[in-house]
Amino acid sequence: MAVTAEPAAPTAAPPKTRATAPRRKPLRHRLRLDWPLVVLTVPALAQLAVFFYAPSAYSVIAFMDYSPYRSLWENPIVGFTHFQILFEDPYFVDALLNTLQFAFAQLLFVFPTSIGLALLMHSVISTKLRSTFQSIVYLPYFFSWVLVVSVFTQVLGQDGLFSRWLVGMGGDRLDIMRDPDSFMFLAWLQWTWKDAGWGMIIFLAALASINPALYEAAAVDGANRWKRLWHITLPSIRPVIVLLLILQLGSILSVGFEQYQLQRASVGWGASEVLDTFVYYRTILSANGESLGTAAGLFKGVIGLLLILAANNIAHRLGEQGIYQKS
Amino acid sequence: MSTLTATRSRRRDQRPAWDEEPSFLGKSVKALFLLVYAAAIIVPLWAVLATSLATEDALVRSGGDMIFLPTDISLQAYREILSGGAVTKSLLFTLMLTAVGTAISLVLTVGAAYGLSRPGSVWHRKMLTAILVTLLFAPGMYPSYLVVQDLGLLNDMWALILPVCFSAWNLIVLRTFFMTSVPGELIDAAKIDGAGEFRTLFKVVLPMSKAILAVIGLFYAVGYWNTYFLAVLYTPGLETKPIQVLIQQWLIASTGPAGQDAAAAAAISSGMENAPAASLKMAAVVCTIIPIVIMYPFIQKHFTKAVITGAIKG
Repeated sequence: MAVTAEPAAPTAAPPKTRATAPRRKPLRHRLRLDWPLVVLTVPALAQLAVFFYAPSAYSVIAFMDYSPYRSLWENPIVGFTHFQILFEDPYFVDALLNTLQFAFAQLLFVFPTSIGLALLMHSVISTKLRSTFQSIVYLPYFFSWVLVVSVFTQVLGQDGLFSRWLVGMGGDRLDIMRDPDSFMFLAWLQWTWKDAGWGMIIFLAALASINPALYEAAAVDGANRWKRLWHITLPSIRPVIVLLLILQLGSILSVGFEQYQLQRASVGWGASEVLDTFVYYRTILSANGESLGTAAGLFKGVIGLLLILAANNIAHRLGEQGIYQKS
Repeated sequence: MSTLTATRSRRRDQRPAWDEEPSFLGKSVKALFLLVYAAAIIVPLWAVLATSLATEDALVRSGGDMIFLPTDISLQAYREILSGGAVTKSLLFTLMLTAVGTAISLVLTVGAAYGLSRPGSVWHRKMLTAILVTLLFAPGMYPSYLVVQDLGLLNDMWALILPVCFSAWNLIVLRTFFMTSVPGELIDAAKIDGAGEFRTLFKVVLPMSKAILAVIGLFYAVGYWNTYFLAVLYTPGLETKPIQVLIQQWLIASTGPAGQDAAAAAAISSGMENAPAASLKMAAVVCTIIPIVIMYPFIQKHFTKAVITGAIKG
């Protein structure tokens, strides 16, 4: 009945092109047809309403002098006072600077490591060797930070394997797990250990989709392996690189929480404080910080939003796909 | 598909005629680099495993907390931590959390992915936008905490599931799969045969999507198994802690300066006197890694495909 009356089943239409002739049927009629689809989507929407939209709305307390002992609307509105306090707070500024440092270090050092690993892997001829290596380096991506830090402590800690080997060789114990000055280096080691394999897999997938005929044609024309890398391989994976860069830029202020919280006691907060840990220790674990912490969180969220929109815009201008199409 | 991979692997196992042979030096540097990189991952994990199997004697002989070559193997540490103490409870709790959470996540994701797989259906754009917006912004930690508090979920197991049980990324991956890899003709045919949307979903679409459902489910499962941040934030007073929190208290916090942490660590290992402390801790680490290693080959096999559908076509 109603099913056959539906013109041009939309499933047949390719995604991203709009239905050429929007149906002008009354809502009641469309609902009678499509209500199961709505019903199936509603639970996810409800989850987001409660755990995304409600907290987003709650962010207004950043502009209030919030106290948990008053009802929300009884809190006096103070405008941007808390943001002002934040930027005069040396702890916040330190946390912000640390966060930016960690984020740029990730971009500068871990990202290229993934690309480098992928290129290296791509040039390995033996399938067996490649799949073995992939399995090994990709595994730690699924470990929690708790496991990563535990394993690192066992190996690089004061009483760890490496220290004992050094002592055995007549050297000093290694103290890298507790040294605030080298925490950046330690964090870099940990990121690389945990996440470089994941990036590698994504780039490898992009590399695998390059048409080998391109290489052959270039080789016949006399391009050596470096020229082929520069003129074929890198341009082919550029969209994926841009996509991942945008995503990284958008989350530049969220370098994570666990890695820093876990090592806060051993390297001290000065080296390990990032925005997320700042918010946690300032609001959840101490009294009267609610509005201030929320302001810090809102600042982070808004900057993230602006960055992701800007990065995507730039990507469009450069002729890349970006993460979403303008539609 | 199979013919494609076959040709590719043939191509990959032999250097194509047009490709010049790399120099010996180049090959050696490459091999050395890969070897060192792989060793940096394997060796620590091996040491963890070896230590978990070590006897007191072996540990004393090696003069430290970690050993590399287990001379005599003992399963005593595993017997101790799995005999019903804090670690056992925590492992079982986390398993349960993972199972319940993954089931809920899959129901939400499958429902939304199918519900939004038909452009032009009623409210399609509105609902899709409402979901995709969540990828652009992240609400702060304290407002989220307030919501969980308002719901009365602090120190409740559900606080570890409900706030994270739906991921818009997984929705995109699954929705893209439904739209591109499930033939529209099949869905039309089911409808002409009189099947409603629900029947079409369960009888036609889901049976065709087993592999990708498994991958998405495993990704959710790994997330729940690794729950740490939410537990620190929402459930610090939970009596049975998720395994990651337990490992943190036992292995990481106990090395810190605070005396209170040492007490918590001692409470975890109380009643486990028959195995060396180092072995007990490493056995707990191994038990935390094992579920991931079990899931791993499957994720690896199907993951790349899922990422490509999600990232490239999405």
